[in-house]
Amino acid sequence: MADKQRFVGSTRVTRRKFLVTTGSSALASYLLLNRPAWASDANLARAGNFGELDATAAEGIDLYLENQDLLVAGNVGRAIAINGSIPGPVIRMTEGRDALIRVHNRLPEDTSIHWHGILLPFDMDGVPGISFAGIPAGETFTYRFPVRQNGTYWYHSHSGFQEQRGHYGQLIIEPAETDPVDYDVEHTVVLSDWTFEDPHGVFRNLKTVEGYYNFQRPTLANIDDQMQATGMTLAEVINKRLSWQGMRMDPTDIADVTGATYTFLMNGKAADENPVFLAEPGQKVRLRIVNASAQTFYDVRIPGLPITVVQADGQDIKPVETDEFRIAVAETYDVVVTLPDDQAYTLFAEAMDRSGYARGTLASRGGMSASVPELRRRPMLTMADMGMMMSGDMKDMKDMKDMEGMKDGGQDGMEMPMARHSESGLPTENLVDRVKHGPSGHGPASITMAQSAYRRLDYSGAGLGDDGWRVLSYSQLRALARPPLRRPPTREFYLHLTGNMHRFIWGFDGKKWSESDMIRFQYGERLRINMINDTMMSHPIHLHGMWMDLYAGGDLDTNPRKHTVNVQPAELLTVDITADAPGQWAFHCHLLYHMEAGMFRTVAVVRSLEGGPLNADA
Amino acid sequence: MLMRSARLIVAMTVAALLCTPAFGQNNRGKNDMPSTADLPDHQESARQHQGASSDLEAPPLPEGMTLDEVLNHAASEPPAGFPDPVADDELFGFVLFDQFEYRITDDDASDHLGWEADIWFGGDINKFWWKTEGEAIFEGSDEGESENDFLYSRLFSPFWSVQTGVQYANEWTPNDYEDRWSYVLALQGMAPYQFELDGSLYLSEDGDLTAAIEGEYDLRITQRLLLQPRAALGFAAQDVSERNLGSGMTNADLDLRLRYEIRRKFAPYLGIRYQFLVGETEDIARAAREKTEQWLLLMGLRFAF
Repeated sequence: MADKQRFVGSTRVTRRKFLVTTGSSALASYLLLNRPAWASDANLARAGNFGELDATAAEGIDLYLENQDLLVAGNVGRAIAINGSIPGPVIRMTEGRDALIRVHNRLPEDTSIHWHGILLPFDMDGVPGISFAGIPAGETFTYRFPVRQNGTYWYHSHSGFQEQRGHYGQLIIEPAETDPVDYDVEHTVVLSDWTFEDPHGVFRNLKTVEGYYNFQRPTLANIDDQMQATGMTLAEVINKRLSWQGMRMDPTDIADVTGATYTFLMNGKAADENPVFLAEPGQKVRLRIVNASAQTFYDVRIPGLPITVVQADGQDIKPVETDEFRIAVAETYDVVVTLPDDQAYTLFAEAMDRSGYARGTLASRGGMSASVPELRRRPMLTMADMGMMMSGDMKDMKDMKDMEGMKDGGQDGMEMPMARHSESGLPTENLVDRVKHGPSGHGPASITMAQSAYRRLDYSGAGLGDDGWRVLSYSQLRALARPPLRRPPTREFYLHLTGNMHRFIWGFDGKKWSESDMIRFQYGERLRINMINDTMMSHPIHLHGMWMDLYAGGDLDTNPRKHTVNVQPAELLTVDITADAPGQWAFHCHLLYHMEAGMFRTVAVVRSLEGGPLNADA
Repeated sequence: MLMRSARLIVAMTVAALLCTPAFGQNNRGKNDMPSTADLPDHQESARQHQGASSDLEAPPLPEGMTLDEVLNHAASEPPAGFPDPVADDELFGFVLFDQFEYRITDDDASDHLGWEADIWFGGDINKFWWKTEGEAIFEGSDEGESENDFLYSRLFSPFWSVQTGVQYANEWTPNDYEDRWSYVLALQGMAPYQFELDGSLYLSEDGDLTAAIEGEYDLRITQRLLLQPRAALGFAAQDVSERNLGSGMTNADLDLRLRYEIRRKFAPYLGIRYQFLVGETEDIARAAREKTEQWLLLMGLRFAF
């Protein structure tokens, strides 16, 4: 470890130097905060000047949250800075030690910090209204918890829309034992989205004007473009468009908030500011990539270099070589690339709806850059996103037959789910591939387009996979070693991800948080949640406090642990959970505006499930 | 007359509520595959739960709390003083002037200012809705008319709201002022093929039953240039002599507006309107030697805030 190099901002530090300078960087960051009032715009601090702090050092660390004018993408933005920057400092911890973090709230409003993906006592989880009351203006809250895991994570506000204003940073936990990942240098890559609008105004726009930020809709003017891109005739294009209109749906509704207001940031820097990631030719470079966006899914690639994915959501996986991957909001991926020569390579992070991109450069010297790829054509939703079966799709036809067989009497492992409470638990492999959508029953808050929900583990996502290079999918994720506490679940339930895209209403089972009861887990149980996405958007679903073991087509030994799982349109996605963290926790879609609209639940890990439901909104 | 109309209103209200599913979502194909409707949700699953072993070591506990205390806390509602983790029941207000325009006639009829606006306040499902439309003449004599519907609006299916309340309508000239209150029952929403529809029934204080249906469609030429055809039709269930209405369809406005969205909430436009009277209403006007049709050039601004 000692010979590995690390880069903070654009300064190279060795491990030893890092330990020496950590204490003073807190002070430096603090001084940065208290710029004299006469400082002009030209003297404004730039976003992206984050340092690094060691939170498991004996004296702990201090974080100062403050409204601050920062240069974001060359313009002055009113940001929430953590120790003077967005993103906030990289927080380091070491597995097996105790973290100690004093958070000083110098904002004129309540705030909070949630440690995303970290296993800790519920009162340290940082969700106002669930873990604690929040951190009032002017007060200090001390987080203290034992660090029981390692990997790449992140932290962010869980108060209102603060995350959109820059209140986030990366969190890296060094393993107590040898790191299985082989690398020479490492870099932090925090992807995010920034708007100069008031985020609450963004939310209001979404609630009051459908498609407010979508400027890539079907128009008369782009019929020709669609014909050329798809090879369809004019009649086919018109037919297809009419069929979407008939359903009152917009196939270009890929992202709610787009480049029309967003500047896409990599480490706080816009694409033309070109953050540079340094390495020597021949070195293995570990990129710790976090998607700290409020709403933006990124498709990440480095043209000319294969990417080896070694961690997902902080958990070591069996290395997978690929060329591109989609990172949902709140996910993290650690990848290793080898810089082959002294050329520059572009780290390209394209917004899923192709309305913009973030970008940096991997090179041996500062000031270098490589060509930046053109944005690809924006994807459109297809009938597959409604769970409709394509003609000639033999796999689907086979599934149909399987389901018919199930109805006619059942085979082992395929009996009706209601009857599955055996001692040995539920099946853990070859899970049901497709379920038929019943009558929605979810009321006006849900537009259910999907006719069936099905496994989409091999599907990388809309707009990916047609470029002639490899793209990562969930079905490729396999845990490096069997995680502890793995056993077949003894109980399961189905949870519908629902929304009314027309009115910007989002929830689960047609209900918002304020209309719902808590979801109860029994302490110690092994539980399965089958999520069914009734909507036509992807939702990154995040559970606090406990791992979700993603059914990725593997088995008990190899299914990966995730803190955030992306559920694609019409997808049936299964996670198993060991309810090992007593207390109350948040469970929600990590798209900030969906969460704030009510796509959120309180999860209560309780002694017993007897007794009535618990109202979440008391 | 009043009683008969009242019965009709009640019958129509009931019918509107009963035919809710017709305005709902596409019916699913009939297929005998297992349906998600039969699969347990979290509460169903909890009810059937047999209990589980909890042989866990060292659960994460807050400092100074025992496992029992944490489990008791977990089974309680949030403590007083905790804020809501998300503000998902926030109320919003919105003002949209769909039409705010100067209407220029092609003959000696007066040019005038016309408007149509939707103003609402409320949550996702329940809203207070104020629809206002009217016109006013400024050159020469001060004349005008307006209709203001004050409605409770409830989203009852993903695309449709049922609305009910009162309408205050007035007409003024330098020498005269007339007004009228009516009960309103309306259905507003988006039909397949993305037509915006708004249909209203009015039962006036005099017992007259009338109806208005408006439909419009946004045809996108480019991302910011839109052509909006719009039709507004009027109906009366009986003759209303003081309003010069004959029973049946009474009148129609056919509009075409071409707007440019400089911003989503700020779009100047040009348009034309052809308005005409129909059926017995047209006969009444003709007998009184009044105009039965009119072409208008529209110049206006569509804006929202």
